[in-house]
Amino acid sequence: MDRRAFLASSVASAAVASLPWRVAQGQSGWRTFEVTTRIDIQRPSGVSRAWIPLPLSASLDWHRGQGNAWHGNASRAEVLRDPKYGVEMLYAEWSDAEGAPYLEITSRFSTPVRDRAVDLSRPGGGAALSEAERRFFTAPTDLIPTDGIVRETAEGVVKGNRGDVGKARAIYEWVVDNSYRDPKVRGCGWGDIEAMLETKNLGGKCGDLNALFVGLARAVGVPARDVYGIRVAPSAHGYKSLGTGSPVISKAQHCRAEFFAQGIGWVPVDPADVRKVVLEEPPGNLAMDDGKVEAARKRLFGSWEMNWLAYNMGHDISLPGSRGPKLPYLMYPNGETGGDRLDQLDPDAFKYGINVRELKA
Amino acid sequence: MRARWLAALAVFLAASAMAAPPPPLELADLGGRTHRLADYRGKVVLVNFWATWCGPCREEMPSLERLRQALEGRPFVVLAVNVAEGGRVAGDYMKTLPHGFTVLLDRDGSVTKAWGARILPATYVLGPDGEIRIRHVGAIDWASSEAQQRIAALLP
Repeated sequence: MDRRAFLASSVASAAVASLPWRVAQGQSGWRTFEVTTRIDIQRPSGVSRAWIPLPLSASLDWHRGQGNAWHGNASRAEVLRDPKYGVEMLYAEWSDAEGAPYLEITSRFSTPVRDRAVDLSRPGGGAALSEAERRFFTAPTDLIPTDGIVRETAEGVVKGNRGDVGKARAIYEWVVDNSYRDPKVRGCGWGDIEAMLETKNLGGKCGDLNALFVGLARAVGVPARDVYGIRVAPSAHGYKSLGTGSPVISKAQHCRAEFFAQGIGWVPVDPADVRKVVLEEPPGNLAMDDGKVEAARKRLFGSWEMNWLAYNMGHDISLPGSRGPKLPYLMYPNGETGGDRLDQLDPDAFKYGINVRELKA
Repeated sequence: MRARWLAALAVFLAASAMAAPPPPLELADLGGRTHRLADYRGKVVLVNFWATWCGPCREEMPSLERLRQALEGRPFVVLAVNVAEGGRVAGDYMKTLPHGFTVLLDRDGSVTKAWGARILPATYVLGPDGEIRIRHVGAIDWASSEAQQRIAALLP
């Protein structure tokens, strides 16, 4: 375990840990959900390890983390937090003597009933990033460079547009117009935007398309970030493709994006979901001038429906205790046994299951 | 994981006139046995970089097996290098795909990076002299008559 790189925010060497739930149930205008992730390491060989993404622990105006509790037969389990992005994960470890490693973690969080929406017509709130924050959120990552073809493309896209909002809107519209959702991509796509632009293949899923937005924005100096999470409820706006109607959400991972507008603050966007509506909203393969597409396109620049849980905003994640490669992001449960990674994109083989229920006051 | 697939059929990117020595390759197969390019000197070697998350990689892989079968008995070898997924993921996938070629594990992706295979699938065909004769990015039907002819022309 690299103690220098990861900080344990709570420790439980026993198999069971319970944290007191922060009280948020029943608060007016908020919904509370409980997400349970269960992992069972199949065919263990040697020491087994798991890294499970946890909900944002922060209290924001669109998210309130309420804590986590877990049980299982791990010889060691603790919450770890990476120092760069604050990505929180439950790390669990089993000795080679454990024949059937398992762990179940339950997390609670609240989201507003109303959409998280930002009024872009009313700047002047004084929101500002420090120079250090601006540098941080315009910096490249391993898969999101901000020079070369990314900067060249971004400069062309924003030409004639001024200000954070103007540039971000130009990039948003460009991504919506030029990308497409590729259903063959496993998982959400890893977001290698330089390769996307080099190959002129702008197909992908949220991990690709929203990373493209983030990279292009950063390349022209607009602070931006991916936000990785999972859908937890149906869409109240009538979009079958933008929610989950099942309590089983093992494959409902979804990442979104934000940009920072001077004087306004962080602005939610989701160009990838516009392309999801185009492809998947019944009857499918909708035209760009279809009313549902146009409405989603308008709504998803400046708002998110909060039927979704945010995990983190991290990139290039090194899993503590693993000798395997870095992950572009941590949005799925990860595991390894005998030094071999498990397939994070295949819940049935791993295996893991994620369930959700809404807690009624 | 710095790689991406190219869905569209692409042309051979470099002809035999662009022959170049390859970067080192020394990797273990699914059974733990180490393979080095020098082990195959005198043969034509097709090195294919792939991953299970790469759709076109999965689409073209059966054609690599058909190519191998078509050239069986000739001095020709296919080495399929899995990029940074590990033995469990690669092995489980290969169990679903009948194959007679060797699967190697580039566990940390360093060999893939050294070969410059940023976009998957990426394929390199080495001549009997060990030099790279063909580079190809993207999925193609390796059992097509055109591909077979190109590779057969390299055989000693």
